[in-house]
Amino acid sequence: MASLTLSPAEHDFITRGVESGFRSDGRGSLDRREVTLRIGMISQANGSARCRVGNLGVGTDILVGIKAEVNPWSPSDGVPENSGTIVCNVDCSPSAAQEFEGRGGEELNVELTQLLDRIFNGPQSGIDLEKLCIIPKQAYWILHVDVLVLDVKGGIVDALVWATRAALMSTRLPRVVVESIPDENGVMQAEFDVVDDPEDMTELVGVENMPIAVTFFQIGRRFVVDPSEQEEAVSQARMTVAVSPGMDICAMQKGGVLRGFSPALLAEIMQSAQTVASEEFERFKNLYSEARSQTLDQMDEPSTGSTFLVPF
Amino acid sequence: MQADNDFATDAELSSRIVTPGSAITSDPMYMRGHGTFTENDTIYSSVSGVVERINKLVSVRSLKQRYSGEVGDIVVGRITEVGSKRWRVDVNSRQDGVLMLSSINLPGGILRRKSESDELQMRTFFAEGDLVFAEVQLNTPAGLSLHTRSIQYGKLRNGQLVTVFPQLVPRSRNHFHSLPCGVDVVIGVNGYIWVSKQVPASKVEENAELIYSDKNDSISDHEREAIARVANCISLLNRLYVKITDASIMYAYEESLHHLVKDLLTKRVAVDLAHSVKSRLAQQS
Repeated sequence: MASLTLSPAEHDFITRGVESGFRSDGRGSLDRREVTLRIGMISQANGSARCRVGNLGVGTDILVGIKAEVNPWSPSDGVPENSGTIVCNVDCSPSAAQEFEGRGGEELNVELTQLLDRIFNGPQSGIDLEKLCIIPKQAYWILHVDVLVLDVKGGIVDALVWATRAALMSTRLPRVVVESIPDENGVMQAEFDVVDDPEDMTELVGVENMPIAVTFFQIGRRFVVDPSEQEEAVSQARMTVAVSPGMDICAMQKGGVLRGFSPALLAEIMQSAQTVASEEFERFKNLYSEARSQTLDQMDEPSTGSTFLVPF
Repeated sequence: MQADNDFATDAELSSRIVTPGSAITSDPMYMRGHGTFTENDTIYSSVSGVVERINKLVSVRSLKQRYSGEVGDIVVGRITEVGSKRWRVDVNSRQDGVLMLSSINLPGGILRRKSESDELQMRTFFAEGDLVFAEVQLNTPAGLSLHTRSIQYGKLRNGQLVTVFPQLVPRSRNHFHSLPCGVDVVIGVNGYIWVSKQVPASKVEENAELIYSDKNDSISDHEREAIARVANCISLLNRLYVKITDASIMYAYEESLHHLVKDLLTKRVAVDLAHSVKSRLAQQS
């Protein structure tokens, strides 16, 4: 994604390292870097999270905010009459990398937005979208998932899904009271009222079933996960595989135009995806509960970006 | 601490940490140096860093800065553009450096004027993306002018690049080190550090034909591990904001031997390692 010109010697060094299973920073092909996770740092949002993937406090940095909005239903929206919807938007900040300046990041924004939509907006996400319907054919919740890519140090996609997952898990919706009131003709009409009480909020239904994404980057004849910036510059193709907690593959997207995957490699990727994902679910659970206990401690003072920068 | 405007003693003038806009002194005896500006006869800092005073000259050395070249510096640069009779080189500075066709050695070390046919095959010497090991020949307002007219300079291969803060690399007599752990490092003063497989000095001279080669030698897993370990140690030293020399790299390397290479940069190991490296550096000085 980030354009980095490497010399043929570096290119060869990285490729051969990956093929022999020993990467430039000593990791094996399926080893991932450290992740730092914080939630609830945007007090105005219904849910938010910041996720950084990288060692020693430098790495790919993603901020996600979720805003819920009540929308009147109309047939032209394309939303089913008895369900709500999730609208994703990814924005690569020009401060993350030079090539995002101006219109440079647009293509990537579209690609990543589409990917998030593919993973989260639908039954495959595990979230019960029907619970986001307030009154069928009248009103429903829209969850706006706004993602800001703050820094890029290789492997945006996995961090993106981590952060979005954490933000959706921390999302709290206001309770809605639905009443039937007869109108002047005596016909019963459903009406709703959003309860404006910060204490009276509910979690989304089904967040524990959300998938996690593992992106494989093909380098030479092998593949790696969680690449460094240099490895990403060397890779010819990438494949994102989203795996649900039940170990079902629920979304896939290929990126990178230099090459395709051979069926044998693809089969191996899908196998590895499940192994990696089961470890990632465990890691996510631990980091999320850690992030949650930290937010509970600092309830009076929502944690800001600056506290995020001190883990070393 | 006295008020910012009337600052008197020398002790306070040096080794004080300032941020952009901090008043340093209004005493008319001082002259303003790098990293400062004057307004209403008061000297202010224009960067965040440490105040330094040499006789009457007051300057601020910033904590983070781009590389500013000096003649004779050994640098590692990346070719960004091939032009007519010259290459543009990224040297982590404010401007790109320039490497003239006339300032390189021809393969085999033949000494002659560069002809038009050399000009046409410039990409066979250096192409975009290549890393070069060079020396600063001239420092002009238009940027640095580099040269590679020595057998040890030229194209870099068999390894990987680590980028550090340029101010952490002190200028020294030697910037090419064959470390005892079997790894060669080129510590560019500009903060680009090349970590590569060790090539015996005798072989360098007999391989004069190979100075423009793109092909890596075969690198064993053992050598690869040593390279990765040194590279990770350098990243750690950079994060600790410690001067990067062959000695500090070796300390970090020796302390790191208890750990797996891939764990060196994880929080758990890095904090531990940071303590032992720092205490060892303190012992030495």
